[in-house]
Amino acid sequence: MTVEQGIEAVDQFPVGMRVLAVDDDHTCLRILETLLHRCQYHVTTTDKAQTALELSRENKNKFDLVISDVDMPDMDGFKLLELVGLEMDLPVIKLSSHSDPKYVMKGVKHGACDYLLKPVRIEELKNIWQHVVRKSKFKKMKSVVTNGESEGNSDQNGVRANRKRKDPLEEEDEEEEEQQERGNEKKPRVIWTREMHNKFLAAVDHVGIKNAVPKKILELMDVDNLTRDNVASHLQKFRLALKKITNEAKQQVNMAAANSHFMQMSSLKGLGGFHHHSPIPLGSSQFHGGAATTRHYPSNRTFAGMFPHVSSSLPRNLHNDGGYMLQGTPFPPLENLHINSNNKAFPSFASQQSSLLVAPSLVLEGHQQSSSPSYSPHLEINKRLEDWSNNIPQSNVHSEPDALGWNMFGNSTNQTYFCRDTDFGSSSAAHADSLQMKQQHENIFSPMTVAQLLRSSSANEGLFMGQQKLEDGFMASDAGSLDDIVNSMMTQQEQSSRVLGRRLGLGGIITHSKHAYDMRICVFFFLLVSMRVFLFRHKSLVLSIFWLSSSFVREP
Amino acid sequence: MDAHVAQLQMQYRNYILSLYQQGFLDDQFTELKSLQDDGTPDFVAEVLSLFFDDCVKLVGNMARALDQTGTVDFSQVGANVHQLKGSSSSVGAKRVKGLCINFKELCEAKNYEGCVRCLQQVDIEYKTLKAKLQDMFNLEKQIVQAGGIVPQVDIN
Repeated sequence: MTVEQGIEAVDQFPVGMRVLAVDDDHTCLRILETLLHRCQYHVTTTDKAQTALELSRENKNKFDLVISDVDMPDMDGFKLLELVGLEMDLPVIKLSSHSDPKYVMKGVKHGACDYLLKPVRIEELKNIWQHVVRKSKFKKMKSVVTNGESEGNSDQNGVRANRKRKDPLEEEDEEEEEQQERGNEKKPRVIWTREMHNKFLAAVDHVGIKNAVPKKILELMDVDNLTRDNVASHLQKFRLALKKITNEAKQQVNMAAANSHFMQMSSLKGLGGFHHHSPIPLGSSQFHGGAATTRHYPSNRTFAGMFPHVSSSLPRNLHNDGGYMLQGTPFPPLENLHINSNNKAFPSFASQQSSLLVAPSLVLEGHQQSSSPSYSPHLEINKRLEDWSNNIPQSNVHSEPDALGWNMFGNSTNQTYFCRDTDFGSSSAAHADSLQMKQQHENIFSPMTVAQLLRSSSANEGLFMGQQKLEDGFMASDAGSLDDIVNSMMTQQEQSSRVLGRRLGLGGIITHSKHAYDMRICVFFFLLVSMRVFLFRHKSLVLSIFWLSSSFVREP
Repeated sequence: MDAHVAQLQMQYRNYILSLYQQGFLDDQFTELKSLQDDGTPDFVAEVLSLFFDDCVKLVGNMARALDQTGTVDFSQVGANVHQLKGSSSSVGAKRVKGLCINFKELCEAKNYEGCVRCLQQVDIEYKTLKAKLQDMFNLEKQIVQAGGIVPQVDIN
């Protein structure tokens, strides 16, 4: 075959495919040769296996394919198969009149690409070129892989390097493969799982929200298959959410200032304030402190960092400050949260929690501020109720109003919590979901949990447990829940402006009542609240009921 | 002359058909015939001559193997039979192939007398086939000499 013929043959593949045929049976060999010629292959024949080996070794690129008989006098057909496959890495087809499957298996095990039975038909020979294509593709894949490994870079680099060494003949195939591989590389989409988000928050906290750059965060996170771009987009979302929170906090503050005078009224009237908008002032004012405090936090550290600090302080305050905590933010915000949080999942609760966390400092502020009208009435009520309770940690109170607050708005609102979509999108939702799932377990912030506690367990136990859970939840909360808290804070503040006013009064009273002791009362209130939802239209009736209940509360 | 050619062709066709019907030839022979074209006019003749040469060789080997005074190496005999089987199946020598299958079983059973008998049968069979195909080729020659074209016999 001349060079020209060779080139032509190669271009017209499978026409001109170079086949080496080995068979000691001359008859069969002659027939095979003719058949292969009929398929337009180029054929070289020999009846000796040794000759065949020498021929193929002589020039490793001389043949594309080898067809060899199994039974040969000078060398075992399988041995030849192995040698040719190993040294020359050529596809070898076995030929035999043995139809016994064990021979076929032996051929396969020794590396044969195919096994043909004599008498060979031309139809079968017309398709043998597929083995050549398959083998060459396999070789390319292998080289790509080894390139990628040796360079120690991403697959893209390996593929690119391989691209340079392509044969002109196989250029198209390689391109296809490379494109497919690149396409595959682009496919994986980064999903921000809870763990990843926690790592992200930890990294942001470590670096500082102001110094948070995607590159540093990526390094700190140390997660595989995460690119700088993924982190950058996630960070952007995070920052937007933060901004929203602070803006809403500001709004809340403004509203609180506007309505501050209502607080006292609502608190005094207790249930009467049910229909008032007073709760907002009370809550908002308290929340104001909280918001202010909250705002402090972001400036100094990320929310991730805030949480542990606040949580650690919370118990202290709870146990030390007596009734002050009651005045703390939690309740109004909680109520705010729950009232109309149609779209607020329990993250809103989380935000309440955050406000709760802030409460310790807040409470102190509130207490010191004693000028704040909201606090004094509550204090009075508290002191009255204090007869009932002494050692009960304020945390219980927190839990109480929380639960009650939730209950007030009925199951529907509680349930809506879980439908909320936070600004952080999937991550928060994931948190919400996970929290939701954890309802039945410990360390749950979800309002539903506390509400459930109240409803399900005995009064005293429930409150206590709820409180414990709150505390535990605070302590155990991971960075992820911070997002929820942040989000919920935002949403809470949004919602608080509206309906909460009425609730707040009731809530305020409830909050001020000593928790454990008032378990029964709380339950009673809870029932009232639940009923109230259904008796919404009968305002007078409800009002009277609440008035009675409040009077009942006030007169222990 | 056309009548003569036609007659010869008819004769040829009938002869071929009889060979198939008597089981001397099978579809592989047809395939073999189809491979013959203007570029290789003697392809079939060439292959068949190769085949018969192999037959002679193999039968001789087997006879020698079976004729051993000591223990008979049946594996050797079996190898030869196997090869003969492959060749005969490739050319379409149906009867020979059938005999080879029997022969192989006898070899595996190490049935000396059976092998000997079978070998004799193989010997007779391939020689018979050889003679018959020779006649066929002669007919073809006559047709060509008469100016006609060897007809393609459709075996159905």
